[in-house]
Amino acid sequence: MPHIHLGEGSFPLWALVLWTLIGTALISTVVYRVRKGGIKTHQIALAGIGAAASFAIFQLNIPVWGGIHMNLTGLVGIIAGPLLGAIVALVVNVFSAALGHGAVGLIGANTLINASEAIVAYYAFKTLIGMDWDVFPAGASATTLGLSVGSFLMAAIIVISGVNGSALPRGDLTIAVAGLAGLNLGVAVVEGILTGLIVQFLASVRPDLVGLTDRDTQEEATGVTA
Amino acid sequence: MTTLSNHVPDPRLITAFAERRDGPLHQVNPWTKVGIIGALVLAVTVFDRLALLAGLYGTVLIVYGLAELPYRRLVGWYTLPMLFIVSVAGPLAFFEPGTPIGGALSTPLGNISVTWAGLVLFFELSCRSLTVVTFALTASMTTKYTDVAYMLGRLLPRPIDQVALLTYRFTFVMLETLEDLVKAALSRGANFSEFWSNKRLYARILGMTMLSAIEQSERLVKSMEARGYDGDIVLYGDVSRPPIHELFVVAGSYVAVVGYALIAVYEVGL
Repeated sequence: MPHIHLGEGSFPLWALVLWTLIGTALISTVVYRVRKGGIKTHQIALAGIGAAASFAIFQLNIPVWGGIHMNLTGLVGIIAGPLLGAIVALVVNVFSAALGHGAVGLIGANTLINASEAIVAYYAFKTLIGMDWDVFPAGASATTLGLSVGSFLMAAIIVISGVNGSALPRGDLTIAVAGLAGLNLGVAVVEGILTGLIVQFLASVRPDLVGLTDRDTQEEATGVTA
Repeated sequence: MTTLSNHVPDPRLITAFAERRDGPLHQVNPWTKVGIIGALVLAVTVFDRLALLAGLYGTVLIVYGLAELPYRRLVGWYTLPMLFIVSVAGPLAFFEPGTPIGGALSTPLGNISVTWAGLVLFFELSCRSLTVVTFALTASMTTKYTDVAYMLGRLLPRPIDQVALLTYRFTFVMLETLEDLVKAALSRGANFSEFWSNKRLYARILGMTMLSAIEQSERLVKSMEARGYDGDIVLYGDVSRPPIHELFVVAGSYVAVVGYALIAVYEVGL
């Protein structure tokens, strides 16, 4: 897993309320900015179907360390941008929770983690491309950075909240969670490399999708089939 | 051999159960199920005794069975939730202060052992997580597609509702696209068993899935705009308000959970 979905009931009630409020504030800000800036039909369709693809890709088992699953949150951020990326993170978390993956009560915390991955990946990719990096290293580095930020945020959320029913002091909890964050960083590198290759592939067939050319100059579909 | 996982619930199977079965929970109002999920989330967060959490989990498992849903599938679908529990509660079982179980293991960092308190914590977190996972799956497998779409449209603000409705609709299409791409690659002799030597193949398949999604979205935009899309996908379904006896069940659940929390957990005097 590039990002761990925290289990239901892991946190005490105050933390559940806190992360839900912060998650709601983030999404409210995103919705306000999207509404204020005006959203076009193609952006809604891209976010909706992009989220569906992200959700579908999660079903594929990647044979690393016994099998891992990826949502490609960094890729979604690079393609859809920070605002739609955050919305996609929320929608994917809602659907994941409905299928028993993730936690209903922690949708706020999980959305914060996943949205941070998408937002950081987007800005890091733009910055690196602006510095004349090639597409593969830029995509791989931006995604790895985004997922690493998500891993640290996840660890911080657990340490700040404490684990429901545990008498462990915060210092010991930090040590226990550090192993989890370390494992996530390893998976972040795998997903970063994979995302870099995907961005490289997309850039070769539709450079407008990753912001390398103007979207309006790309009219014809590539007609992808199996 | 890598295919689509059987330990991740397939939305097509979930929807097939919802559409084609007709168990007792299929008759329950979808808003009631949402209300019960909220009460369960609250319950597993505030309940502080393993016996109580285990009892709640057992009750939900019985409800799952009463809904005529398959236990064997459920065991497979527990893989990921259990992975999350083990990843958080596993290390805690060693660190949690308390009486060690059996002997201690000597490591360069000192002696470590699983404590009774750590073991209880592990089971508590398992019951907390699996209770809601099981009921969320039960609700998903007994609520029809049109009802879920209607509730998404009612619960989420615009434009999130529009994104969610498109996601729900196109998840099935994207799954088939991904499956077709995997099958096509396998038929051409592809080998998915090792990631590092096949990373470009994985990238191409996932990239084509994403590309296919984007191109479908572009075609969809044209058809939506041609039909006068104005930022609102029209939903023709309707989910009525729950009947009075179901409202009593939902209200009773919240009263019981909040009452227990106030009296037994937070020790509020009456």
